[in-house]
Amino acid sequence: MSASLAVEALTLTLGAFRLNQIDFALARGEILVILGPNGAGKSVTLETIAGFHWPDSGRVLIGGSEVTALPPERRNIGFVVQNFGLFPHLTVAQNVAIARRSDRAIAAPDSTFPAHGDPAALLSYFGVAHLAKRMPAALSPGEKQRVALARALASVPDVFLFDEPFSALDADMREQLREELNTFLRALAIPAILVTHDRGDAIALADKIMVLRDGAVVQSGAATEVFRKPISSFVARFVGVENVLPGRIVETTENGISIEVGKQIVGAARGQSMPAGRPIVVSIHAEDVAVSLPEGERQKSAINRFAGRVTAMRRAGALVTIAIDCGFPLRAFLLGPQVREMGLDVGSGVAVQIAPEAVHIMAD
Amino acid sequence: MWLPPATPSYPGALYLACWFAGSVLLAFLVLPLVALALTQSGASLAGVARMVDVRDAIVLSLEAAFLSAAAAAVVGVPLAYALARTAFPGKGIVAALVDLPLAVPHTVAGIALLLVFGRQGVLGEPLQTFVGLKFWGTIAGVVVAMLFVSAPYTVNAARIGFEAVDPRLEKIARTLGLNPWRTFMRITLPLARRSIMTGVTLTYARSISEFGAVVILVYYPMTAPVKIYELFLRFGLEQSAAAAVLLLIVSLSLFVLLRTLAQRGGVPQENR
Amino acid sequence: MTRRLTLAQAAFGIVGALMVASSSTQAADPTTLTVYAAGTLAVPFRQVSALFTQKYPNVTVQAQFGGSVMMAKRITDLHQDSDLLAVADYNVIPKYMFAEPAHATWYAGFARNAITFVYTEKSKYANEINSDNWYKILSRPGVEIGRSNPDTDPSGYQTVQMLNLAEKLYNAPGLEQKVLANAPLTNMRDTETALISALQLGQIDYLAIYRSDALQHHLKFIDLPAKINLSDPAQSAYYLTGTAHTKNGDLAGKPIVYAVTMVNGSKNAEMAENYVALLLGPQGQAVMKTNGFGEFNPAYAVHVDAMPAALKKLVEPWPGS
Repeated sequence: MSASLAVEALTLTLGAFRLNQIDFALARGEILVILGPNGAGKSVTLETIAGFHWPDSGRVLIGGSEVTALPPERRNIGFVVQNFGLFPHLTVAQNVAIARRSDRAIAAPDSTFPAHGDPAALLSYFGVAHLAKRMPAALSPGEKQRVALARALASVPDVFLFDEPFSALDADMREQLREELNTFLRALAIPAILVTHDRGDAIALADKIMVLRDGAVVQSGAATEVFRKPISSFVARFVGVENVLPGRIVETTENGISIEVGKQIVGAARGQSMPAGRPIVVSIHAEDVAVSLPEGERQKSAINRFAGRVTAMRRAGALVTIAIDCGFPLRAFLLGPQVREMGLDVGSGVAVQIAPEAVHIMAD
Repeated sequence: MWLPPATPSYPGALYLACWFAGSVLLAFLVLPLVALALTQSGASLAGVARMVDVRDAIVLSLEAAFLSAAAAAVVGVPLAYALARTAFPGKGIVAALVDLPLAVPHTVAGIALLLVFGRQGVLGEPLQTFVGLKFWGTIAGVVVAMLFVSAPYTVNAARIGFEAVDPRLEKIARTLGLNPWRTFMRITLPLARRSIMTGVTLTYARSISEFGAVVILVYYPMTAPVKIYELFLRFGLEQSAAAAVLLLIVSLSLFVLLRTLAQRGGVPQENR
Repeated sequence: MTRRLTLAQAAFGIVGALMVASSSTQAADPTTLTVYAAGTLAVPFRQVSALFTQKYPNVTVQAQFGGSVMMAKRITDLHQDSDLLAVADYNVIPKYMFAEPAHATWYAGFARNAITFVYTEKSKYANEINSDNWYKILSRPGVEIGRSNPDTDPSGYQTVQMLNLAEKLYNAPGLEQKVLANAPLTNMRDTETALISALQLGQIDYLAIYRSDALQHHLKFIDLPAKINLSDPAQSAYYLTGTAHTKNGDLAGKPIVYAVTMVNGSKNAEMAENYVALLLGPQGQAVMKTNGFGEFNPAYAVHVDAMPAALKKLVEPWPGS
């Protein structure tokens, strides 16, 4: 299947800021999340794809044809921004109707879908037809999102671009709208890019992730790949790995790699080739740390089994984050009932167990 | 003086101070005009309204000011948009140039305009020879003088109006298939409409009251301010005050009307 | 803390002392002499004021200039305070200031002037025009002539009177109408000096103005015959035959004499008297002559007995009054 959105070696200078060699491809129905701190160039990338900046070099291809020289109004792009950008002086119906349509059609997920961008049909499809005469200021965030999507679809786009759409919302609203967006995008099978600095968006929506920093790609690939195998501690921290620890390679055998971390030796699975003696950084997801009381589970293998002490506990909803000192600082997750069952508190002794496959080695 | 602490229902010292200062200013502005108006009776106003030359002068002022405001809108609004949206070297200077007429003494402005638009002026001569357009002693001259001193109000107000329009809305409109022209007409302009109307109304008001620059170029036909001054020279305070009050009444009614029209259809902007 | 208090006290003390000092010096030095004068007197009066301040260093002279009628009306209608009034047409004083309630009771003519036309080398037919053919050139179509409004300004109606007299002198019927046709309403202003920039910018070719202005602004001018240019009081009878029709009525020609008076009820009567004395005396006359005005030796005055004693000596009764 030919890529429906491709960006090749996109380079752009905007005043003092420079976007360097942005490169990726998206197939139909794939969602790319561009992740990065403020100022990384995420919005600039999006706007360049949309056609609001002239790149110094590189190409943008939508549906296989090059659009680099086309103005935004000829690129067939759906664009949704923070607070959804509804035109405040037009009613909901006027907002959706203002889009220019052509004879194109979207490959419809089902027969009820208004593939030709008919505004009235779109309003019905999204369940906001009863709001047709309302002004945007009178809508809830959920309603705004649906109207914004309906409006974008009215122009029959080939690509969807989202620029931090949930940034101004509270956590509950954010989750709910994220879900709705996920369902919607999966049904539609149009490639989409979502720019955000919130890793929760990435976790919920991404097929692919691209991490940007200072205008350059730090890591780009399948979402699971970026999550489980971050390329650097910057990426690791950004995608939310809870344990990012400095260490030193002690030895590499065919059974695995021994790493000195703090006061302990941690074993990692083989295959991550590194010369001995090198200082490296280890990343371990908190959910990969098994916590138990010191007395039990003696017969299990002793690799990566350490005794430790609880130094802090923090509850976030049903999940409790436990900070443990086991020769190096480690964080793990437990559910509330487990904590109660084990009678854990600050100062309690615990035993931690980490599978070697969960220990990921990074160069820095 | 003890005042209760500010709660939602009780104004508090800050608001009272604001209202006090505001009342002082309002009184300062209104008192002279009210005092002037009170020197007239219905009869004196009717008397001066019967004078053909007074009526003609007021009509000329209104017409010329309208043309001046229209011209300011046509050329000033695009300039305001450029200043609001684009960054270019020397932008600060251009913005300051726009404000310059406000600092130029009116007589100096009139002479400068005469230099350019007069019989031997760099623009005046070709315009007179090829198009037959004269600025000395014509309504065109009045409009030019009015426009020079009052255009900054339109440009500044329009610029603020455009700056208040979220550029992302324009970007979204482009992605929906609207070209830059349509985006401007259907999104940007309607959202900036109120500010623009305020600026144009100010330009209109300022144009009506202009004397110093106008009188260098055009003494006859007389605009209202010139006529009022001539009446003062010939007859003294009473007649000129009557004509002045007549002009005030006409102007006030017009401004109230314009302000009402500008308020309607205004849109509250969403919080960003 | 103590140091700061002392500084603040010292600051207040200094400011307070300055305020007291300034107010007390003002009490000891009361005089600002306010003079309202015709616009064409601006330059000579500044020079006279300088001489006056040399003689009386404690007095500040504040002079304001404008149309003669305008300045008179500021006193009579707007009730603004002035100590002296000097006008370009001696008739303005009896007409506006003598009327009840009287703001003045006498006046003295202290300078003469003549109507003339000024022009530049850009003006049409500039190299042709002279004292003999001026009326023919000014009658030609396409010549733009500027003048002041006869309804509001003396030089305006004086210009018309002069043309009226010229028509008789040169035996050229229609002269007045033809020249005025080249000086339509669009070329008129409240005072002729407002048109000088228009002349210099080439908007008009000729400007009817006073000889004194011509000399002060270093403009070329035409020497018109004394029989018509209103400069000679001895020709008064002849001047009366020239008429200007204005909205204020038909005005007969009179010599252009600048007159001065002291305003009744002025708080600085003594200093005002001194100023007039300087003006009417040899120094003042010399200043007027240097600036292109005709002089009086001595000045003519009307209602001499109403004048202060010191001034009576400097004047002669107006001939024919």
